[in-house]
Amino acid sequence: MSLSSLISKLAGATALVGLSAIAVQAQTSGEPVKIGAIVSATGAGAGLGVPERNGLLLAEKDINAKGGIKGRPIKIIVEDDASNPDTALSKANDLIFGQKVQALLGPSLTASTVAVGGVTHANKIPQIAFTGIGPAVERERKCVAHVLPPQRLNATALLEYAKSIKAAKVGVLHDAGYGNVVMAELKPLADKYGVKLVAVEKFEIGATDTTTQAAKVKASQPDAVFIIATSATPFRNVKQIQITQPVIAAIGSSSYEYVNAMGPAADNIVIPEFVVGEDPLPHQKDFVELYKKTYNSTPKNYEAAAWDAAHIIAAALNKAGADATGEKLCEAMKAPYTGVLANYNFSADDMTGIPISSFIFSKLVGGKYTRTPFRVAQ
Amino acid sequence: MTLRTFLWLVPCLIVWAVLPFVVPRYMADLLVFTGIYTVAGLGIGLLLGHCGIVNLAQATFYGLGAYASAYCTVMMGLPSIAGFLVGAAISMALAYIIGRPILRLTGYFLALGTLALSAIASALFFEWDWLTGGTLGIGGIPKLNLFGFLLDRPSRYYFFVWLVAFACMAVARNLVDSRSGLMLRAMRDSSTAAAALSIDLQALRTKVFVVCALFGSLAGSLFAHHASFVSTQSFTVDRSISFLLIPVIGGATSIPGIVVGALFVTFLPELLSKLGDIHQILFGLALVAVVVLMPEGLVGAFAKLRTRLAKRGSGHG
Repeated sequence: MSLSSLISKLAGATALVGLSAIAVQAQTSGEPVKIGAIVSATGAGAGLGVPERNGLLLAEKDINAKGGIKGRPIKIIVEDDASNPDTALSKANDLIFGQKVQALLGPSLTASTVAVGGVTHANKIPQIAFTGIGPAVERERKCVAHVLPPQRLNATALLEYAKSIKAAKVGVLHDAGYGNVVMAELKPLADKYGVKLVAVEKFEIGATDTTTQAAKVKASQPDAVFIIATSATPFRNVKQIQITQPVIAAIGSSSYEYVNAMGPAADNIVIPEFVVGEDPLPHQKDFVELYKKTYNSTPKNYEAAAWDAAHIIAAALNKAGADATGEKLCEAMKAPYTGVLANYNFSADDMTGIPISSFIFSKLVGGKYTRTPFRVAQ
Repeated sequence: MTLRTFLWLVPCLIVWAVLPFVVPRYMADLLVFTGIYTVAGLGIGLLLGHCGIVNLAQATFYGLGAYASAYCTVMMGLPSIAGFLVGAAISMALAYIIGRPILRLTGYFLALGTLALSAIASALFFEWDWLTGGTLGIGGIPKLNLFGFLLDRPSRYYFFVWLVAFACMAVARNLVDSRSGLMLRAMRDSSTAAAALSIDLQALRTKVFVVCALFGSLAGSLFAHHASFVSTQSFTVDRSISFLLIPVIGGATSIPGIVVGALFVTFLPELLSKLGDIHQILFGLALVAVVVLMPEGLVGAFAKLRTRLAKRGSGHG
């Protein structure tokens, strides 16, 4: 066992019993370098915010166990925006001007990200958001990086898989929030892939029954069905009305919370995503092991995204110096970075640079993820 | 103005003027939100305290004001004032058109009617993404520029927001003290008696509903220029409920009560959030405590306490 993996395992074990301070003190000293983080730990976005917070706290321990920022410990101050953009704005003001953080990680939701970006951009504070790039104004914000793919890339990944199974007619079930945004990107792309969208059915966020919409999709006799939502309901309904065609789901439904709620309906669903905790890629193994040891559960994409964000900012601080100005940190962040979730390049136009080749296509079997051999070449 | 009021008012004004410079920036930011919520809450207070109407649709007008400002400035490149005016005009027109039929209802039915309006508006904000940007919203709304002075930070915007809030308070006070105010109180206490005195209840209620919508829209425009970003998440039914809480907590009949209510709604969740994920439960408990223990709101409870102390004081003397 190498020294670094021994240290990371030690850090994981100490975190479990709440004695992480010992590991920190052993490695780092001096004034902590403060980083702010905003997640949706409560409210509608809690399904994202809670895993992200876990990823952040684990990353903090890992960074400190590996020497912190040039010997100084890193301190990630995590705040909850209750899934509300107005609260996110207040929290960002507090973190930046009250607590004087060097950089900001998060928020979890697009609306909050755009709201907070107004403050970080104007004050030249580096920000790494746990969302894909949103409205046009975000392209002007050259110091607001994103660790999740833009919705256009999510739509492309769905179509790539459809093409691979020779599905020419596709039915879509999507919700009115996240699903709407992905759908807007999917429509123009479908033609390019020679895929005909034979039925596009929308349902409300949090709908408890989508049988009618699923029946319409079934009636259109598609070769495959896309489900784009953050809910387990449409998956159960599709199974109930016996749609037997392959179901491909967008990353939004990939958390275990949703998979467990799908029950047996989860079987055989394919999801283009990034982290399969049951069978991680070689570069993901250390993170998955540490996560499992600390939290006694298997990590998915959002835990890894937050972990990456914290490590990216730590790498930039190590490069530019612990007291570097926001502008210098932004410059330092621009280099390509190989993360657990994906390979990033924040100098790309979409402020993420995730290539389509970073996607893994996983299949659910008995409530567990298995990695399929299918990958898209760049 | 009596000498006593004057002696109260001067120190209050000094504190008000100095506050944004001495508190940390995030607190100044919360004070800006308090000002915005005061404007929105004033309208609800007028309806609740003086007409006995529970309005659960204020987020609709707040949203209309915000989207009007966002659309006029970002999409059409018009000056900020255009957004304020368009928002106000649309809100008042909508309040009039919808107010005429639904204000015929009373009590719970009227409350449900306004709730339906809020639910419909929130769904439309969502669906009409060509206009509102849907889930992604509209970003990059410019900060207000007053005669070359850019209100780009909370400590500057604070003064503008609160001056608008004071102006709205003056309008509300004027309305309450006027002949219409007397008719309103008569209508609230006994609508049959008021109707017998040939008061046109329908017209009067609609008038107050339109004023309430105007305040809501102004608050929305102020919010849009402060946050620089608007999305559907800021204008849901939840927001309507938190606007209703402002007069309920502060005291519906009192104008200072609205300010107290707005302070409660903006600052308390923020302070409680330091206590971890249970902060929403604690906020709920605090709400229940205020409503059960102080049915006349915080200001009402304070007034009661003062009377009791005064009585005790005179009893001893």
